[in-house]
Amino acid sequence: MTQEKKRAINRLKSMYPIRAQIDETYRRSVEAVKAGEPTAWVMLNFLEGDAILNAMGIEAIYPENYGAVCAAMGAAQPYLDRCEEEGFPTHMCGYARNCIGYTARMMRDLGEEIPPEAPMGGMPKPALLVSRVAACDAGFKWFQALGRYMDVPVWTLEMPVPGVKEGLSEGVYERNIGFITKELREFVSLLERLLGRRMNWDKLSETVHDLEKIGRVWHETNELRKAIPCPMHSRDFWTCMTGAATPTGDFKEKLKLYQNLYDEVKYRVDNKIGSIAEEKYRLGFTDLPPWHSLRLFDTLAEGGWNFVIETWGYHPPIPMDLTGVDDPLERIARSSYGGFITSRYKRALEDGEYLGFLGYPNLEYARDYKLDGFFLHPLLTCRTASTHLWYVQDRLMQKLNVPSILIEGDIVDIRLFDLADALKKAEAFEEIMEHYKKVRREEGMEW
Amino acid sequence: MVKEMESKGLTRAREIYQDRTLRVKELKAEGGSIIGYLCIYPVLEMMTALDLVPYRIFGDMGEPITKADAYLPTVVCPFLRSSLDLELKGKYAFLDGMVMAHICDVGDRVAHIWRSYTNYPYFYFIDVPHTVHRAAQEAFKEEIKGFKKSLESFTGKELSLEKLKKAIEVHNRQRTLVKELYDLRKPDPPLVSGTEILQVMVALASIPVEEGNELLRQAIAEAKERKGGHEKQTARLLIWGSIIDDISLIEMIESVGANVVMDDTCVGTRFYWPEVELTEDPLDGLAYRYLVGINCPRTFREAVFGETKKDYMADLESRFSYLKYYAREWNVNGVLLQSVKYCDTHGYEVPGVKDYFDSLGLPSTYLEHDYSQGSLAPLRTRVQAFLETLG
Repeated sequence: MTQEKKRAINRLKSMYPIRAQIDETYRRSVEAVKAGEPTAWVMLNFLEGDAILNAMGIEAIYPENYGAVCAAMGAAQPYLDRCEEEGFPTHMCGYARNCIGYTARMMRDLGEEIPPEAPMGGMPKPALLVSRVAACDAGFKWFQALGRYMDVPVWTLEMPVPGVKEGLSEGVYERNIGFITKELREFVSLLERLLGRRMNWDKLSETVHDLEKIGRVWHETNELRKAIPCPMHSRDFWTCMTGAATPTGDFKEKLKLYQNLYDEVKYRVDNKIGSIAEEKYRLGFTDLPPWHSLRLFDTLAEGGWNFVIETWGYHPPIPMDLTGVDDPLERIARSSYGGFITSRYKRALEDGEYLGFLGYPNLEYARDYKLDGFFLHPLLTCRTASTHLWYVQDRLMQKLNVPSILIEGDIVDIRLFDLADALKKAEAFEEIMEHYKKVRREEGMEW
Repeated sequence: MVKEMESKGLTRAREIYQDRTLRVKELKAEGGSIIGYLCIYPVLEMMTALDLVPYRIFGDMGEPITKADAYLPTVVCPFLRSSLDLELKGKYAFLDGMVMAHICDVGDRVAHIWRSYTNYPYFYFIDVPHTVHRAAQEAFKEEIKGFKKSLESFTGKELSLEKLKKAIEVHNRQRTLVKELYDLRKPDPPLVSGTEILQVMVALASIPVEEGNELLRQAIAEAKERKGGHEKQTARLLIWGSIIDDISLIEMIESVGANVVMDDTCVGTRFYWPEVELTEDPLDGLAYRYLVGINCPRTFREAVFGETKKDYMADLESRFSYLKYYAREWNVNGVLLQSVKYCDTHGYEVPGVKDYFDSLGLPSTYLEHDYSQGSLAPLRTRVQAFLETLG
């Protein structure tokens, strides 16, 4: 009798129902189209638009997530090639190129029919495109470019991202909340005109509150990961992040699933159960992983590498006290802008750091999660994920004696990632982490 | 007061182009304050009104990037990498301050990284909305109000509305003069070459606005006196795309049998075409000009705000109709779309803008380069091939 090899990463059981709910998205969207219900293709939007779409009964599909699905299932290459044939430069975002290639095929070759080879049932033609501007140019240029293939209206969700110092200047915070709220009101107005029905504001309030509750429990779950050993591996985070960062389906059901996840992680903390057998090194990971080569993490786990925290932008907003804020749109504005964008500005400025939104959180993570190292994964087709990583590497070392390993790759295009080379570099990096453990100890640092 | 220059017009422009610090270092020695700015969103009028000299940050296509690669990956905009590289090599050390803006996502990050590694007495970051409708204009007006306040605090001077209005007039005059100069590209052959135009544009970004206006007057007078202009070529090209602050690309194109007669780039028309309307509150006119007037792909535009129906050709028309005007007025018969590598805002735009030129019956081709003089050699053959198709 052969003994089954024990998996190096101890996956959370409560993660699977969340994944199943996420996977349902595609089936639901196809059914919605068949039933004559509206669907929208939506960019990850720091939760600015999701509750509104949900309350209006619009089935949201996230083509970024679908890019990851295509990559993980080995289905992306023909869509990438098609995008190139359409005249788009090859250096552009892998998710975007996957989507543009997919759309060109659906709209130009198949008369709006979903490509038969599309994984998970594919994405049907939407009634609306919802893009965002924060943190990524592809976030709105990509959907604008889809106008070549689909005569579908595009709404662009505005989000100010001021400088750290300027953002903390008198009056700027409230002014930006006002701007976002005004924009969201226009967004609701567009949806009402598009669908020919009015917003149910009570329903929106309830949806916003549900989303806040999901965010809170998901945030608390990630706080539990500060425990040693860490109870939840990044693999579980990545599986669950889309359910909260790009939420679809029944939010009340979703809340229950995330509560179950919290309970399981809490149980592990209370019983000192780690997400890998023997936690030798605690690492942070940024930006997105190579979806096509996730076995990298299993191999590293065998060597005692536990990935305990990830890119800030994919985490839930830091919960805020919104007592007395009754307008659901203002609640969204405060949570998205204050909870995501500017949540760490004050501490960043005190620390003399100016990359407050996507750079500085990594320094806080290193301290709070007692990291031995950071795995930095610049994406060769994504400026958003990559531009600041060299800076982050420098700051982690200069300020905290935390080393990092930079391994280039891509989220979609497997040709841009060399797994064997990554593992070789990782081996050498262990010595560096060991060295800096000693350095930090000698300097009287906490970990 | 405008300095009496030894050389004049196009010669002076060429000299400043060759050594951009020529004039500002003199001004600095005389006690002037020189403020660097990146891209075209910082509000120059405010700096001028407070007697600061705005000095545009450019890269250097002839200088290998050696220092910036420690701070930025190689897969981001090579122009921004080159600019940061010059900063790290101390080539902008004479500046008294720096103004940056949310020009694009990479530009935003680079601004904060730049700030982290430098220590200017003054630094300001302007956030720029990505849409152009009313709420965005109002938000941007407030944003530039914050910029005004910070400049006042830095200089210790109050920026009165009168001073601001005067500065707007001076900058508008410059914009009008630039258009006059561009008009001299309309004859066939043009009276000024694309290379000369770029030298003037770079010079204007390197000297005080009043001096720039004088330089423009001289250049216009000089070009008008020319008999016959440059060599007549079959191809009259429009160059579209990302920043061109180095004459190498234009020189190469003009050397293989084309006249570059018009541009849509941010050192040329994109920067100088939109004027500031003299509104009662000048901040209204400024906010509109800088947010709505400047037509860069970093901003989202649509035919009708909040439209529930979409029509691709109407969308293209609303975004690119000015290109039809350029093509017609400057009698363009071919278009070179060009971009530095890794520029997302331009990259996503390429098929759309190409579709638009196709709809006008204008042939176009797309070239990508890595912002180094060495990368232009392979493009030469592609440009020649394109010119052959124009007959």
